[in-house]
This record gives sequence, structure tokens and C-alpha cells, in this order.
Amino acid sequence: MLRSGTSKPSRRNVLKGVGMATVGASLGASLPLGGAAHAQGAPAAAKGPKLLEMDGKAKLAILGDRPLVAETQAELLDDNVTPTNKLFIRNNGQVPDVTGDPKAWKVKIDGEVNTPMEITVGDLMTKFPAVTYQLMLECGGNGRSFFTPEARGNQWTNGGAGCPMWTGVRLADVLKAAGLKPSAVYTGAYGADPTLAGETNKPSISRGVPIAKAMEEHSLIAFKLNGQDLPLIHGAPVRLVIPGWPASASTKWLNRIWIRDKEHDGPGMGGFSYRVPKTPIVPGSKGDAKDMAILESMPVRSIITFPADGSKLTSRKLDLRGHAWAGDFDIKSVDISTDYGVTWKPAKVDAPANKYAWQNFTASIELPTTGYYEVWAKATDSKGVTQPFQAANWNPQGYGANPVNRIRVLVES
Amino acid sequence: MTRLNVIHAAVLGLTATFLLLAFDRSGALHRDKYVYVPPAPKVAAAPPVVDPDKGKPPPHNDTVEDLPEGKNRELTFYTCTACHGVALIKAQGLTRDLWDSTLDLMVEKFRMPPIKAEERTEILDYLAENFPPRRKGRGSDNPFLK
Repeated sequence: MLRSGTSKPSRRNVLKGVGMATVGASLGASLPLGGAAHAQGAPAAAKGPKLLEMDGKAKLAILGDRPLVAETQAELLDDNVTPTNKLFIRNNGQVPDVTGDPKAWKVKIDGEVNTPMEITVGDLMTKFPAVTYQLMLECGGNGRSFFTPEARGNQWTNGGAGCPMWTGVRLADVLKAAGLKPSAVYTGAYGADPTLAGETNKPSISRGVPIAKAMEEHSLIAFKLNGQDLPLIHGAPVRLVIPGWPASASTKWLNRIWIRDKEHDGPGMGGFSYRVPKTPIVPGSKGDAKDMAILESMPVRSIITFPADGSKLTSRKLDLRGHAWAGDFDIKSVDISTDYGVTWKPAKVDAPANKYAWQNFTASIELPTTGYYEVWAKATDSKGVTQPFQAANWNPQGYGANPVNRIRVLVES
Repeated sequence: MTRLNVIHAAVLGLTATFLLLAFDRSGALHRDKYVYVPPAPKVAAAPPVVDPDKGKPPPHNDTVEDLPEGKNRELTFYTCTACHGVALIKAQGLTRDLWDSTLDLMVEKFRMPPIKAEERTEILDYLAENFPPRRKGRGSDNPFLK
């Protein structure tokens, strides 16, 4: 591993392939299409993202190799419960060394609490009841590649999201044990990941949430993912899972929760990070940091996971499926259009497995002729808020892009 | 003769004794009793096998040539890839203004060491020249964008 601040040739180059310039460019101009095009049964297209080669992980699309950032192609998100190998990867720093006894790992709870404590993972597991939920984890920048012009950052399509099973203890139970003072208003979470520059004594990122969100029953200190110990890349031995909010609040390699008497001000809380404009700004402009508000609940989004974008179909009849989710809210409906939004047909939407789980939808459609079609999906949440036709509320770091999902299919006779 | 016989008897007796002792020590005379085991050579206790890189991302291997040719390419490469990969740079398409604020973000959020003003200008020149906005559409020719 390169740990220092210099760039040296590494032991081997397993990330083969050409540069990434084609990724943004190929998504570019016109429509917010999800992911690279692959024809079903046909050889993989020459263009498209580099694919991840890593033990325990599927061939996710690499958005950046240092720090490693990889998204899950829509067709790989087809499972109702996202398998661990298909969960997206986002790092803000380097991956820390985690080599000791996981149960001896310590998490410090301090700040505005009556009883500051340092609790081991072993004690967390024995002193508090464990709960398991299916919870959305979604990068705050999910959908960023749909902004025109480009917004700064990793160019996610819709694949910075997944909905696996998480097991852990409720953050609320731990905070109650520490005893929140009346002055407690916000959390500030820290992980063990070194900065990109290699410093181990400085946070790579440190975000938090208002106490009310931290105290929700689905906010967890998690130690299992899909029933297995957390893999290192997903935050072993313990991480936060703050569902429905930007995943940067779901701190990996958790080692400290600082209870604040004001809004947390760690790296990643200020400026344009995880913030959206209070008043709309001219797309492509520099913006004003004083006019930005923290992005809390993630916006409503839907993805078609079958068929894959770029599929060749042999029948005009199509049974499609996908998932929809909306941050803190439920999905009320999902509608499907095959005529560029002129007419819409409701999909069948399942109830979530629990609050903060995505909802599966299915639809049986019949395309009127052979030829080229786009299939669009548009979800509406329990507040009646739906997806825009193009990414809205442009902002310099590109949060909140959730245009209708579009796949391209070719019906052959 | 008598003296010689005594010496012979003593030598033979001692030889037999040593042979018996040798067999005895090797365990050949009483396999069920004990076997001499030479002391094991001293070896430091092996540390537990822990690979700190296990489960970490695969290594990477960027070179200057991964960036497009242009003035100030080397300065840009070595400044930026001290912390992150070339792919992150190449995925961006930003105006000079936004590249400028990107350098602020690197310093303020990502703890990039401060750089000299003239080097910052040279890096900005390179980035703005080689990675301008690429997505065309209503956003790229906005009448309100200077």
C-alpha cells in the first residue's frame, strides 16, 4: 500500500484498462441514462468504466481508484436485499489498518454527555440489544453525473446506493447509557481512516446529524452486514448506519462520537460539502457558501434493475423490475413511460421490509412496435414529491440529482 | 600376560559399557522408556499472521502519461497524486472558477499542503485547459454565466 504522500509505482497494476475520461463523456450530453450500455448476451462494450477486481467484491464500476470509489451498475442492484459483494464503495481517506481483536476495538462517547465512556465492541455487543434491519445506504452525491454542466466530485450515476441487512445496536441505546445533557444538539462522528495525505492523527472526514436523527430506532452502530462480520472496506469492526441521509454520516471504522452543543463542524460539514443551495444558483457558477443548507434526507429516486440499460429484446412484452426509495419517506407510487413521458402507467409497488428499506416495483409493459425505446421510471414519495425530468438545483459539488430513471432497449423482430 | 589380560579386560569392559550407554541413550534398549530428544534450536515465537493489507483496495499505478500532454502537466501530476488518483481528475469537467474552488476544497477539507501562488496558477492553467466542462446542454451556454 502506498501510505506516504509520494506517488510510487505499486507492486502490481491490477486496475487495467484505459483512463476514466470516457465515463463522464459517454454519459454526457443529452439524457441521464444510467450506467454503461451492455447488450444482453453480447460481448461487453469496449467503452465504459473500469471494473473493480477485488476479493469479496463484484465487478463494480470504478469511479476513482485512489481513494477507491466504485458504484454498483443498476442491473447488479436487482436483488431485493443487496448482497455484500454488490454494495458500493466510497472512501474519503485511506483504508485503516484493522488487525487487532475486533472486540477490543474502542468507541469513545464524549462531549455533551453525563458519563463520557470508551466502550469496546465486545461490550457494545453484550450490553445492548442487537437489532437487524434492511436499511438504505446512499452516497450523498448519488446521481451527480446527471448534472449539466458537470458538478465537482465522483461522477455517480444511480449506483452509489444499496439496501443490505444491517445488524448492530441502536445508537440511541448507547447515547442514553452515556446520558445526553440538555445541551446536546448534534453528533460528530469520527473513524480511524487516515487522511488521503496519510495522516493518522487527523480525520479524513467527520460528519454528524441532529440528535433527533441519531435517536431514531433505525440509526445503528452496526457490526454485521448481511449476517456476516463487516468487511474491512465497509468499516470493520463497527460503523454507523444513519439510513436515508447521505452515507457520509454513516461513519466507517467508527472510533468516536463527540456529542456537540452546536451543529458539528468537522471536515465535510461546511462549505459546499453535502449542502444544497437555499436559493437556486446559475448552473456552472461558483456559488456562495453562505447560501448553502445541509442536505439531510436524500431525495426520491427510482432505478430499473431489469432489464439492463442497452438490452436487446426479442419480444415486445417486457416484465421490468426495480427499486425506489426516498430518504426519510416512503414511496407512494412508481410510474413507467415508454414514450418519453407522454403517457404513464403505474407500476406495482411493494411495501418496504421496514422503514428505510427500498421498495421493489414491477411492471408488465408491451411496447407497440419493434425498434428503439426508452423506458422511464418515476417515483413519487409519501409527501407527493416526484422526480424531475432533469437534474435540478445545480450546485458546485453536485448533490440531490434525481432525474427520472431511463434505460434504452432495442426490440428486434 | 596376566597384566595384559587385565588391561584387555578393562578396555573391553569399558568399550562394552560405552556401547551399552550409547544404545541406552539412543533408546534402542528400551523403546518404551524414553528417547533422547535433542533440544530444539531456539526460534523466536512466530508472530500471528496478520496482513494489514488484507481486505484493502487493490494497488494502483498512475503515471504522468495518464494525464493529457500539456504545459504544467508534471507539476499538476505530482501535486495532485500525492493524495489521490488521476482518475478523479479526469472525471471532472469544470470552469476555471470551479477548478479554483476545487483547490480550496483540497486544502480546507482534504488537508492538502499549501502550495505557492505561482504553482497554483500553473496547476489551474493546466486543469482549466485540459478539463473544461464537457456536457453540452442548456447548462453549458447559460446566458447568466459569465
